[in-house]
Amino acid sequence: MLVLEIENLSAFYGKAQALREVSLTVNEGECIAIVGANGAGKSTLLDSIMGLVKTRGTVRLHGEDITGLRCAQIVKRGVGYAPERFNLFPHMTVRDNLLVGAFTARNEIAKNLDAVHRLFPRLAERENQETSTQSGGERQMVSLGRALMSSPNVLLVDEPTIGLAPKVCGELAKVLQRLSKEMGLTVIVTEQNANFAISLAERLYVLEGGRITAQGTAADLSKDDILAKSYFGA
Amino acid sequence: MPEFVERGTLRTMIQACYLAIFAMSWDVLSGRTGYISFGHPFLIGIGAYSTAILSKKFGVPPEYSIPLAIVITMFGGLVVLLPALRIKGSYFALVTLAFMELMYQLVQVIRPDLTGGTRGITGIKSLTRGAEAGYELAVTLMLGVALGLWLLMRTRFGTALWAIGMDEDSVRGSGLSTTRLKTMAFLVSALVAGLGGAYYAHYTGSLAPRALFDIDFLFTIIVAALIGGAGTIIGPMFGAFFLIFLLEWLRPILPGAERYFVYGGVALILYMYQPKGLVAIAQSLRDRVRGDNYDHRA
Repeated sequence: MLVLEIENLSAFYGKAQALREVSLTVNEGECIAIVGANGAGKSTLLDSIMGLVKTRGTVRLHGEDITGLRCAQIVKRGVGYAPERFNLFPHMTVRDNLLVGAFTARNEIAKNLDAVHRLFPRLAERENQETSTQSGGERQMVSLGRALMSSPNVLLVDEPTIGLAPKVCGELAKVLQRLSKEMGLTVIVTEQNANFAISLAERLYVLEGGRITAQGTAADLSKDDILAKSYFGA
Repeated sequence: MPEFVERGTLRTMIQACYLAIFAMSWDVLSGRTGYISFGHPFLIGIGAYSTAILSKKFGVPPEYSIPLAIVITMFGGLVVLLPALRIKGSYFALVTLAFMELMYQLVQVIRPDLTGGTRGITGIKSLTRGAEAGYELAVTLMLGVALGLWLLMRTRFGTALWAIGMDEDSVRGSGLSTTRLKTMAFLVSALVAGLGGAYYAHYTGSLAPRALFDIDFLFTIIVAALIGGAGTIIGPMFGAFFLIFLLEWLRPILPGAERYFVYGGVALILYMYQPKGLVAIAQSLRDRVRGDNYDHRA
């Protein structure tokens, strides 16, 4: 069953066009990755889904047209967003950061907090620590945790591996897979690190210059010599 | 307390209490969300003029004119200043500053028979008799406002305002309507400013537009909040008492405007030494006395 359908989506920053007629679909419980270099439009794509950027085209969530809705309305419809570089509130504790994400799911705070703590036990241990004093990996956990506090059924994660050690990236891939496979969340991850993307996503889209230039499974894409050299280190 | 201090000191403390109310009111919006308002005297002025006009010109008793003045401040401020909340950074500060100046001009031009024009309004009914009663009222108001704001800031609303001050886009990305939150913050700020302004008008018994819509008055409010500790409740109170008593202490040494130069210097040094204000200095001193080396961030 289709959860998210994007049709001919273009995004603009003033007169500059950052996305050019992007179309993609995501099935329920699926984990997909959008792979691309810096400036390819990955973050813009996620911002566009969240209603944070001026767009043209259509975004449907569970069949409902959500194009033009405000971010708050989209989050209420079950989309969680963990932006690039964590975007945390540095002088707040881990717990307060998580609670900011819980405004749209006030009745499920205890349940969601418990779920986040089970996914990331370290956050439970350090819930009174200011996030400005945390490591990159811990901040990424808080960022993901905050997105999960809104009880999403679709989770958007923007470049989660930036600045993280390979070991932490591996742990992160496992968590994202758990969210998708065990908890049934639909996960969309953008990444420059194609190997990380392959390790967790069932399908991949390649974004270049604001356009989707290739799509398929990792096996499909690695058959393309140019793509394999550009993104998969072949 | 009133029994143990001189009447002059008591009056200074009353001034400090009202400044603390104004600084707390400014802090709800600007200290928390980072939207630095230069138009706060505009809100205080609406509250003060509304109750003064209602009570003096229309004979409305203060028990009605003050609540009405608060409502007028919230409504008037909302209509005029709310559109400015869509603007960010220095533009917001400049727009709000323009409103303060606009109010100054309007008060003189529109219905001077009501506002008193450039001469202002005198003979506003006093609510108390004597410095002691005035002090008790001012302290009660200040502590009431502080308690109310403290309770409010402990809610998720308070947390969200604080988050806006750190990263508004991220708050929006978490599904919160930052416009609604800022509007609520603005309304709370206007409520407190209107309340403070209205009671202040009845305390002083007179209003002069140049004293109210004045850049010195504006900066005293902002400096009190900043050097006390913006984003806290106790900070603006600390700052207000510190500033008012500093100015009074300097008065015999530097009777002219030079004391404002000293006061500015002291405020600047304090702010450079500890941007989180006197509250943070007091906290670190307390920790040192206790021998507490615990890192609060850990």
